[in-house]
Amino acid sequence: MTEDLPEVSVSPARKIFFSGASLVWVLPLLALAVALYVAWQSYNARGPLIQVEFEKGAGIKSGETELRYRDVTVGTVEKVGFTEGLGRVTASIRVDKEVAPYVDSGAVFWIVQPEVTAQGITGLSTVLSGVYIEGSWDDVSGPSLERYHGSSEAPLIRPGQEGLEIAFRTVANGQLTDNAPILFKGIEVGRLGRARISPRGSFAIVEALIYEEHRDLINDSTRFWDTAGFSVSIGPSGAEIDFSSIATLVGGGVTFDTFVSGGNRVADGTVFEVFPDKETARSSVFNSSEVEPLDVSVIFDENISGLAVGAPVELSGLKIGEVEALSGVVDYNQFGDSRVRLNVNLSIQPARLGLPGDVTAENALAFLQNSVASGLRARLASASLLTGGLKVELVMVPDAPAARLTAVGDELPVMPTTKNETSDATATVEGVFTRINNLPIEELLNAAIAFLDSADAFVSNEDLVEAPTDVRVLLSELQGLFTSDDVRNIPVSLNATLMQVEELVSQLEQERIAAKLSGVLDSAAQAATAVETSVEGVPALLAQIEAVAAKAETLELNELVTELTNLTRSAEAVVGADDAVALPGSLKRALDEVNYTLQELREGGAIDNVNQALASARNAADSIAVSSRDLPRIVERLTALFAQAGRTIEGYNRGDELSRSAQATMRDIQKAADALASLARTIERNPNSLLLGR
Amino acid sequence: MVSMVSPGTPQKVVTARDMGIVACRLCTKAWPMGTEVCGRCGHAIQSRDPMSLQRVWAYWLVGLICYIPANTYPMLRTETLFQSDESTIIAGAVEIAHYGNYGIAAIILFASVVIPLSKFWAVAYLAVSVKNPMRVSNHRRQLLYEIVEYIGRWSMIDIFVVAILSALVQLKTLASINPGPASIFFALSVIFTMLSAQSFDSRMIWDAQAKKEDASQDD
Repeated sequence: MTEDLPEVSVSPARKIFFSGASLVWVLPLLALAVALYVAWQSYNARGPLIQVEFEKGAGIKSGETELRYRDVTVGTVEKVGFTEGLGRVTASIRVDKEVAPYVDSGAVFWIVQPEVTAQGITGLSTVLSGVYIEGSWDDVSGPSLERYHGSSEAPLIRPGQEGLEIAFRTVANGQLTDNAPILFKGIEVGRLGRARISPRGSFAIVEALIYEEHRDLINDSTRFWDTAGFSVSIGPSGAEIDFSSIATLVGGGVTFDTFVSGGNRVADGTVFEVFPDKETARSSVFNSSEVEPLDVSVIFDENISGLAVGAPVELSGLKIGEVEALSGVVDYNQFGDSRVRLNVNLSIQPARLGLPGDVTAENALAFLQNSVASGLRARLASASLLTGGLKVELVMVPDAPAARLTAVGDELPVMPTTKNETSDATATVEGVFTRINNLPIEELLNAAIAFLDSADAFVSNEDLVEAPTDVRVLLSELQGLFTSDDVRNIPVSLNATLMQVEELVSQLEQERIAAKLSGVLDSAAQAATAVETSVEGVPALLAQIEAVAAKAETLELNELVTELTNLTRSAEAVVGADDAVALPGSLKRALDEVNYTLQELREGGAIDNVNQALASARNAADSIAVSSRDLPRIVERLTALFAQAGRTIEGYNRGDELSRSAQATMRDIQKAADALASLARTIERNPNSLLLGR
Repeated sequence: MVSMVSPGTPQKVVTARDMGIVACRLCTKAWPMGTEVCGRCGHAIQSRDPMSLQRVWAYWLVGLICYIPANTYPMLRTETLFQSDESTIIAGAVEIAHYGNYGIAAIILFASVVIPLSKFWAVAYLAVSVKNPMRVSNHRRQLLYEIVEYIGRWSMIDIFVVAILSALVQLKTLASINPGPASIFFALSVIFTMLSAQSFDSRMIWDAQAKKEDASQDD
């Protein structure tokens, strides 16, 4: 081998290098090339490292926790550390190269964790896989920041998300829940963000997003109201419970409507008010608050109760705003003592002042400043006599001490005040109403009802109904009595008797016995006179009966009816008595007898019998007279009876007995009412008794 | 210049070449010098392979290149219901050791780290020793070569474990084990070191000896 040395020296080195190299060297070269390529590629594909600061780590692990964009992994947390001073947690995230340019100053990051809310459960997958960081950025690339701020919850509006961004302003009693939906006809068209309290603390501001496709639903006359909870109303159609959905019942929600047409488009950042209910929202359309209200502060020396948030602020009786917030204020430096004063924030609507030119808060303030310089002052006044509520009135005080409406620094301008016009009227009126309230109206009504009941029973009594019938029967019987043939025939008989007597007298005259006859005639005349007088009494009797009937007709009283019924019965008995009925008969018979006797006398022609006849005629006349004398007695009895009836009726007319019994009834009613009243008082004192039964 | 470290082989080793014989490397049949193709198995016959060392170094280099990602990339990707876990060879062994299974950790470390590394060292040592005189005797080096040749295939045990686990543990979302990129690199590394060891013409050990002896005789 050593002999070959010179040969080696002549052969060119380069040739040996190429010829001597094995092909297998391609392999390591290839491997190296591949390795270098892979290394370069992986280095090249590696995106930048961004720093995101979080309040809390919330389960972020280095090397594991992913950064996601639209639920696609675009990076991984490489390191978790702290900022200087351990104030916050810093996550170093290696972001994919393709998306890195878009992660610019507008990017937001938040940690997705499992969350259970009224709207549902979100982030459930992270229970098993652990949290991840969600990032959101727009589709425009921009310079990246050194540090980003991450939040612990998802932002309402993600960068690049289209939609109308508005804000809600809510005052007292508003209940706007974070992330509550904005519903329109039951469909979610937007979402509320997180509520913040305004810098002055007088209202809450919530930002909200209306999704792009529903943007046109909103214009500047749209009104929003709160649909949280449920409302119960009782009206003519019955009771009604109203709530939108279980989700809004629990988590709250906002809905809206545009009550009038022709609103203008709204721009991002418009502030809407959220009304407590639909009715308020609807009515607000017509007293719109289109411009930012002017806030003015008033400090009242007297701290009078009755002023509430929402109480009206009036200028010349016109409502120009309302009380926005109430607070007490103690400031020794300003007032010189340590009394608590009432600090009232007024929210005045410039639109309602009717200012010329631009309606702005500044103009309104200028107007008020001018007015204050010429004597405009604020005072408390009674808003309602019934409720005792107060309102704030702005009034012109003619010779008020000079004052100005100025704002000091950041404070609200303070409106000067004047003497309040709250009177004791409230107390008085309250007292009156308390007394009216305490009146036993119910007891009274109960008593009246009871009285009417008994009156009703009394009127509908059968006896009372019967009374007119009895009276009618009585009258018809009386009529029957007077129209009976017997009575009517009396004058005929008398006539006949007299004719016969005349005949007889002429005969006697002829026979010269006139002297004797004159005695007979005297007796006859006497008898006739008696009859006449007895008949004369009848009209008076009728008149009295009529009076009785009239009286009876006008009276409707129970006892009277029974009395009257009895009376009628006795009257009936009197009229229907055989004596009375027989009377005309016997009278007639007597006359007939006279007639017959005279006839016999005339026919007999026996003068002898004349004396006897005359004697019996006189006897007959005497008996006629006697029976006629009986008639007035009957009439007198009847008269007396009716007089008594009249007296009785008059007695009842005075109503002694009736009123006595009515009074007794009323006393009973009164007692019952008293018992009820005491029961009511007991219940009032101890309402539990109603429930516990004692 | 007799090696003091190798006491059992003082006598001169006669190579086949010296005796005018060439052996087939495949079927080991000896042929007279000058035969180009083995008459028995048809394998090309060379008394010495001039490209042997180049191939050794080339394969060795590829193996070494592959060994780097085999250790930096994850070997196994374990996905359970709650988390997915990727671990490199060494991290996996350390983790197992943390659980207290020191025996298994030791086996993994031995099979995946110690053996491949020793193989790289051994092949490199042998390749270098052919060109440069070493104090270790030829017999020792021959033994080292045989050990490397024998043990090389066992390095694949890691790949087998990964393959078996991947095949067995496929319970969909509940749990699944997949081979990581390191397994491919590791397999390549093993393959190339085996090729490297195979490319080494062990007869060169003895040529070096002969050269040395010639030199000493000349002196």
